[in-house]
Amino acid sequence: MAGAIIENMSTKKLCIVGGILLIFQVIAFLVGGLIAPSPTTAVAYTSVKCIDVRKNHHKTKWLTPWGPNYCEKIKDFDEAVSRQIEANDIVFAVHIPLPNKEMSPWFQFMLFIMQLDIAFKMDNDLKENAEITLDVSLAYRDDMFDDWEEIAHAIELRKLKCTFGSPKTLESEGRHYDCDFLPFMEIGSVAHKYYLINIRLPVNERKGINVGIGEIKDIRLVGIHQNGGFTKVWFAMKTFLTPSILIIMVWYWRRITLMTRAPVLLEKVIFALGISMTFINIPVEWFSIGFDWTWMLLFGDIRQGIFYAMLLSFWIIFCGEHMMDQNERNHLSGYWKQVGPIAVGSFCLFIFDMCERGVQLKNPFYSIWTTEVGTELAMAFIIVAGICLCLYFLFLCFMVFQVFRNISGKQSSLPAMSKARRLHYEGLIFRFKFLMLITLACAAMTVIFFIVSQVTEGHWKWGDITIQVNSAFFTGIYGMWNLYVFALMFLYAPSHKNYGEDQSNGDLGVNSGEELQLTTTITHVDGPTEVYKLARKEAQE
Amino acid sequence: MSPEYFLRSLLLIILATFSANASNWLYLAKLSSVGSISEEETCEKLKGLIQRQVQMCKRNLEVMDSVRRGAQLAIEECQYQFRNRRWNCSTLDTLPVFGKVVTQGTREAAFVYAISSAGVAFAVTRACSSGELEKCGCDRTVQGGSPQGFQWSGCSDNIAYGVAFSQSFVDVRERSKGASSNRALMNLHNNEAGRKAILNNMRVECKCHGVSGSCEFKTCWKAMPPFRKVGNVLKEKFDGATEVEQSEIGSTKVLVPKNSQFKPHTDEDLVYLDSSPDFCDHDLKNGVLGTSGRQCNKTSKAIDGCELMCCGRGFHTDEVEVVERCSCKFHWCCSVKCKPCHRVVEIHTCR
Repeated sequence: MAGAIIENMSTKKLCIVGGILLIFQVIAFLVGGLIAPSPTTAVAYTSVKCIDVRKNHHKTKWLTPWGPNYCEKIKDFDEAVSRQIEANDIVFAVHIPLPNKEMSPWFQFMLFIMQLDIAFKMDNDLKENAEITLDVSLAYRDDMFDDWEEIAHAIELRKLKCTFGSPKTLESEGRHYDCDFLPFMEIGSVAHKYYLINIRLPVNERKGINVGIGEIKDIRLVGIHQNGGFTKVWFAMKTFLTPSILIIMVWYWRRITLMTRAPVLLEKVIFALGISMTFINIPVEWFSIGFDWTWMLLFGDIRQGIFYAMLLSFWIIFCGEHMMDQNERNHLSGYWKQVGPIAVGSFCLFIFDMCERGVQLKNPFYSIWTTEVGTELAMAFIIVAGICLCLYFLFLCFMVFQVFRNISGKQSSLPAMSKARRLHYEGLIFRFKFLMLITLACAAMTVIFFIVSQVTEGHWKWGDITIQVNSAFFTGIYGMWNLYVFALMFLYAPSHKNYGEDQSNGDLGVNSGEELQLTTTITHVDGPTEVYKLARKEAQE
Repeated sequence: MSPEYFLRSLLLIILATFSANASNWLYLAKLSSVGSISEEETCEKLKGLIQRQVQMCKRNLEVMDSVRRGAQLAIEECQYQFRNRRWNCSTLDTLPVFGKVVTQGTREAAFVYAISSAGVAFAVTRACSSGELEKCGCDRTVQGGSPQGFQWSGCSDNIAYGVAFSQSFVDVRERSKGASSNRALMNLHNNEAGRKAILNNMRVECKCHGVSGSCEFKTCWKAMPPFRKVGNVLKEKFDGATEVEQSEIGSTKVLVPKNSQFKPHTDEDLVYLDSSPDFCDHDLKNGVLGTSGRQCNKTSKAIDGCELMCCGRGFHTDEVEVVERCSCKFHWCCSVKCKPCHRVVEIHTCR
């Protein structure tokens, strides 16, 4: 590894490479900020209260709020009281999307949250820890005049978390409770044009179902989906990035196989990082346009998880391999202490994700957060993952600290060393500091942009130009980590200057004793030649 | 439909057009017998609309039911907010709906204008989100400047459409007069204040939906406040309303506080021109029903107390047996099983 390209590059060339990468970085931000719309849209739906008249004449099972064959509606529940309609005959129907619109596979996913409007009434107060039982079903059709086809049906329990701002007196009757919104539904593909949700709130006094849930006035849903424009820009970006990373990966691996020695751990890790990046990049999402693959959301999570785990492992191993102490590492087993937490943490998050999004493949209305046990389980997984992450960062910080301590130690003894050794260590220090710098820069950028996109509203206006901050954040950061991996593979690939020249180790006067001490960098076989050349170059300059 | 009825309603439309009251469209709230407004001819028959509103009605038939619901909502809310005051927002079955009180530039008029324009914006927005209207959202302002529509960038909030419709329907009367008289300025200001009461009280809610539900992906939206909340906000503005007079700045006429020591009013505040009558005595000519016969609270020192409510005329006290519902079992909707409880209460009514 000693002969990495970055060490042999002149400052000028390094600046040129940096400049080119910077240009691509800016383009990545601009693509998101100027071309793409905001990443997601939230659409508010108010459910229509239909009356289920099936008892009288057998009609279709589905009640449609508007359009052909729309249901018999009531405006409010006072009307229901006067018409002696029972709670069990009322169906809350929501048609997705709103009139004159169509859903599209480009929306990628849909998730819904539910908000209940519950009015306060003196003698019909909301019970403490009230639970609401929903009988929900979801259907689709692709033509306005087709019949509805069922996708899912479930009976779900949701806890109501409501507060009441005013004193509970006769005066404040009719005011609404402040209720937290409830997770309602999540599906990982939008393969159909029209969807229909039917919600019933069945009452069973004997079993205590839906008793003491106050006076429900309305059920509102908010549907969130990815914007088609954003999906298109995102796919385009992925399609462009995949070959770029793939090409540099092939090039990088060829470099390594050309060498006389076997690849060392650090080189393997960098290659693995490239693979995981490509794994994210490969635009398999194109298939979601043609196929109804609901598992795409879960698959995307897994892909991201693998990349994060790989990136974190890479940082640890990079630090370890630049430790410049006498320990021989070069094996993953040498890093079990640090990589262990990453594995445990990602495994926890994987299990959690399987419990949430995995189960949602079967039942889109499921949410792990709705039950007591589920919430505790989910919290446990997340806390364990959090602890692992903290542990990891402690290790990482400690390792970085150790490296810097060793660097300062080595720097003080540098002048006393033989030239080859000195150059070797200087190369190591430079390589480490360089990566440290760009990693910190990338991490800082990510954090800053994350905060900015969280704090500001979705878009900034600059005269006529609107900049979508959130989209710019996603494309920019995504592009940045791609460039990071790209630069890593390019700059840390073995230099070709090693090959085709005679390996004149002896010239340098590196005696065997010294050579043993260089083992930390593993690749001393190639190293000295490289370092020697560097020395000559510097001498010439 | 008899020609007599038609003539009568035509006459009423003409009357409405020439009376100085721009809130006559609120009479829609009274027209529950008309049924759904689904044909263009119905628009002509609607009492209380001015000619331009009739044209709007014809162009936007599907919205008219929501306008009517907005008017009902506004009246209900007004009556709730003023249930304990001498003027209790009671409506008449003739035009003008609120009597003459609202035709003058009083505080009460300010409130009625504000709550009714808010009511229309609210009801139209609600109708949008329940799919009753076809023109919402995408046709007007699409957010983010990309005009490619729903599939590319989604649609703008429905509230934008609701507010825009309220502006064009409710404000049309004052706009047609060129917005020069101080009364028109006052009405326009209060209409806008009503809509601001919704817009400035929108709740921003967010949902995180990144990897494993992290906030890497976060979507926020604005939710409309409940209409009761809008009513409460406007009632507060009513209590702190500013008395204004017309003044010219350059060539434009504006309303400024009469008392120059007061803070200038903001867009959200209500303004009025004339002081209100005391609403004590029955005065049909001015549309004041008076407080005679109203129930009052003997122990209260506030405006609902018998002292103030009855304007010092004193009150009767009757013992009445009322049948109340007690130990009820409720369902979330529709079904109430109660026992009747008999109770004797003292009711105080103003002389």
